Amino acid sequence: MNEGEDWIYTETVKDHFLHPRNFLMGDESKFDYDAVGQVGNPVCGDQMRMYIKVKDGKISDIAWKTYGCASAIASTSALSELAKGKTLDAALEISAKDIDDYLGNLPKHKFHCSILGHDALKEAVKNYRKALK
Amino acid sequence: MIYLDYAATAPLEPEVLEAMHEAEKRFFANASALHTPGHLAMNQIEETRELLASIINAAPQEIIFTSGASEANNTVIRTFEGHEIETSPLEHHSILETTKKYAGDKRPKLYSYMLANNETGDILDLPHEKGAFLHSDLTQALGKIPIDVHKLDLDYATFSAHKIGGPIGVGALYVKEGAPFEPLIIGGNQEKKRRGGTYNTVGIIGFKAALSKINPKVYDTKVRELRDSLAHRILKEIPGSSLNTNLERGKSLPNILNASFRAAEGESIQLYLDAEGIIVSTGSACAAGDIKPSHVLMAKTGDAEVAHSSIRFSFGPDNTMKDVEKVMAVLPGIIERLQKISTIEV
Repeated sequence: MNEGEDWIYTETVKDHFLHPRNFLMGDESKFDYDAVGQVGNPVCGDQMRMYIKVKDGKISDIAWKTYGCASAIASTSALSELAKGKTLDAALEISAKDIDDYLGNLPKHKFHCSILGHDALKEAVKNYRKALK
Repeated sequence: MIYLDYAATAPLEPEVLEAMHEAEKRFFANASALHTPGHLAMNQIEETRELLASIINAAPQEIIFTSGASEANNTVIRTFEGHEIETSPLEHHSILETTKKYAGDKRPKLYSYMLANNETGDILDLPHEKGAFLHSDLTQALGKIPIDVHKLDLDYATFSAHKIGGPIGVGALYVKEGAPFEPLIIGGNQEKKRRGGTYNTVGIIGFKAALSKINPKVYDTKVRELRDSLAHRILKEIPGSSLNTNLERGKSLPNILNASFRAAEGESIQLYLDAEGIIVSTGSACAAGDIKPSHVLMAKTGDAEVAHSSIRFSFGPDNTMKDVEKVMAVLPGIIERLQKISTIEV
């Protein structure tokens, strides 16, 4: 029996799941952002929304909301840490593998959950650039 | 740890563990052998058969031991290979997938309807049609409510040991005297040529110990009280909560509560509870490593979000009101937090 020593996820995943970084509690008006991107839908079981604040071409602040599973929460928390402070291009280059490495490996069947945050970030950057034009 | 996943597997009863340890030493012989140790092992198997038969109001020769409920379910469906087969949409996959693969258009027709569902605990109305045969998966019902195969008018019924505190890997199939039967495992005289394979004596002895302890009255009183108390507190104290189980007496098993929490994803709820030492299950797709949520909740509610946001609490005789209190000490906070970070409005 699992006595709590070996959780199904690594300690890092557990930490990010139990204490997610940069997530947006409650009303989004609490966060000052320049663009937002959303992917997924509740019917599929996962939805992710990513908010970015951009200063001098860099992501100066980031926040997210999700209707998603533990892997989605942990991996988006990780992604938000990795993306903060990066230029938009550099943030887009963060790969699913980078997140997986950062978290110390998600279970394989959970890999698709981990790209949600990623896709939401891409959408946010796309929307930010579109608004500039 | 607060274990509320009895419907998945009930922990082994101490008496079961003891009986099986004893059996490993005393009843190791091949039960088909004609020598004394074999004979003694066979006696144990026959005693189990008689006990199960008496509990469900069947004759001992109408009971066949199997490796579990899935094998028993497969055996019935395969007996009706090429025949018309109708199932409820709430059946276990061992019924649904075999039916999809082996059903045809021959008569007589087989109906396979579980008496009680494993995810919601709902009790179903069984279809009775003259000239057709009726199978019911009683895996969840055994021990929780009284069972009488004659009153239920069944031709076949499936049982499993590990849902009642017995070992995993042991089940039984009731086949009414004279009902059609084709063995699934061929190549042995065991079970009167109805199921080949060396008798799992130790497992069957464990099943016997678990059967000796079942007591539907405890479920109808103490366990029901725990389940209902949790249900009422959830509805009262957690915004956006709804029940997928009908609490009315006779409409559901007394030990299962399925609830949904709007805007909160099921696997996340499950794992936040897990981190607090509270063990439950969910109908969310993510938890099953699947992309589709629970087929049962989809069939019942037609709402994927309700299914993805669902948690099943299933109680056993060892749970107490303290367990309910401990759940309610953390669950509202977990749900509130998930709702606050959710993309969906509550």
